[in-house]
Amino acid sequence: MINQPETRDLLTEARQVLLNSVRPELTGERKYQVLMIANAMGMAIREFEQRERGRPEQTDRTLLAFLAEQALETTAGEAETTLARAIRERHLDGTDPALRSLLRILTEARLEINNPGYLKR
Amino acid sequence: MSALAETFCTFIVRQTDARSARVIDFDKLSGGAIQDNFGLTLELEGGSRPGRHEFVVRQDAPSGVTESLSRPEEFRLLQAAFSAGVTAPEPLWMCENPDVSGRVFYVMTRAAGSASPRKLVKANFTNKQRRNIVRRLGTELARLHTVRPPQQALEFLPLPHLDNPALSRVALYRRYLKEIGEPHPVLEWALNWLEDNAPEPGPTVLCHCDFRTGNYMMDGDELTAVLDWEFAAWSDPCEDLGWLCCRSWRFGADDREVGGIGDKKDLLDGYREASGIDLDPSAVRYWEVMALVRWAMIALQQARRHMSGEQRSLELALTGRMVAQMEFDLLNQIGELEEGQ
Repeated sequence: MINQPETRDLLTEARQVLLNSVRPELTGERKYQVLMIANAMGMAIREFEQRERGRPEQTDRTLLAFLAEQALETTAGEAETTLARAIRERHLDGTDPALRSLLRILTEARLEINNPGYLKR
Repeated sequence: MSALAETFCTFIVRQTDARSARVIDFDKLSGGAIQDNFGLTLELEGGSRPGRHEFVVRQDAPSGVTESLSRPEEFRLLQAAFSAGVTAPEPLWMCENPDVSGRVFYVMTRAAGSASPRKLVKANFTNKQRRNIVRRLGTELARLHTVRPPQQALEFLPLPHLDNPALSRVALYRRYLKEIGEPHPVLEWALNWLEDNAPEPGPTVLCHCDFRTGNYMMDGDELTAVLDWEFAAWSDPCEDLGWLCCRSWRFGADDREVGGIGDKKDLLDGYREASGIDLDPSAVRYWEVMALVRWAMIALQQARRHMSGEQRSLELALTGRMVAQMEFDLLNQIGELEEGQ
């Protein structure tokens, strides 16, 4: 189905209107609410972008490859639960650089959507 | 609103034996999802407190979170802290009869200034002012930490159930994480690290447990009141210092380790001068890691309140999306601590 312009484009434009036209008119609690709305919309836009670039699948593949290497059985939807349980039950060595690197990849993937600015701090 | 002001006014008249009283000002104060705070200015004639007085009335709001005290418990805590010399609002009168205003409430003195963290972090303080503020924060904590168990008035506060308050916290947060039921590998990994690296516990003392920028009032460069006592608990002194220094509470001023205001050395100096106790900086850093885990737990619980429908709220929902920040900081800080060993 062709449905133009794309949803991401609509959201991006709507966020610009909110920030450039609506926000300057507001103060106090209302301004805070508009900034929260713009923040939520920004996350949705970035999530679209990540999906277009195949980033979630890439992160999932990295996670599944790590679990396979550790001989931990799982399914695609349960991979993060399996990892969390294996750490909690001390089946994995917390100092292993491969584990550290995986944890960083998972965290950065979420920050790229939630707050990419935080990665630079 | 004005009927509520009259209700509080009548209550205060009865407590002070005033001949008469006039409401000068009454407004709902910002902040506090768990409680409603009202500012009340009265002109009292006669009785034990004649003259104009600014009060704060604090009463329960409809919702609550897992870790929180009741109003009467909070009132007794405030009495304990105030008696220990902490710059806290003076607790005046408790009303445990819900028929008076519809809810349980208490009255305390109102402190001057603002608690706004952003205003404080952006303020143009000189280095000397920064040093003095941070030393003062150390002094306040040192005074609070002179309150030790057992205390009959504070018997509602549970003692850490393990010999080590840090390990008690680890067990509690593992339970929270299990209850939340969402996989968080970084938090599990950080909890293991906290379990394996728990320092020798300090003395068990009364901790504020939410002592951070945003929860104390400042009038210019003068601290006027430590607020928000509802999370207080018996714990290790370093828990309060770690929470205050946690990166999440620097409000963007990351290089100012103590609440976005100043240096940790000055905090420890202020603490030592007031108490004679030299706290171990590495224990404070350990508790900064604990603080990141705790804030992540609170954020997850807040998001759950939204997701469960208990309290639909954009602010709570966005707080849930902040957890990745704490996880990112945990990976960095634990890495740095290990490199330093």
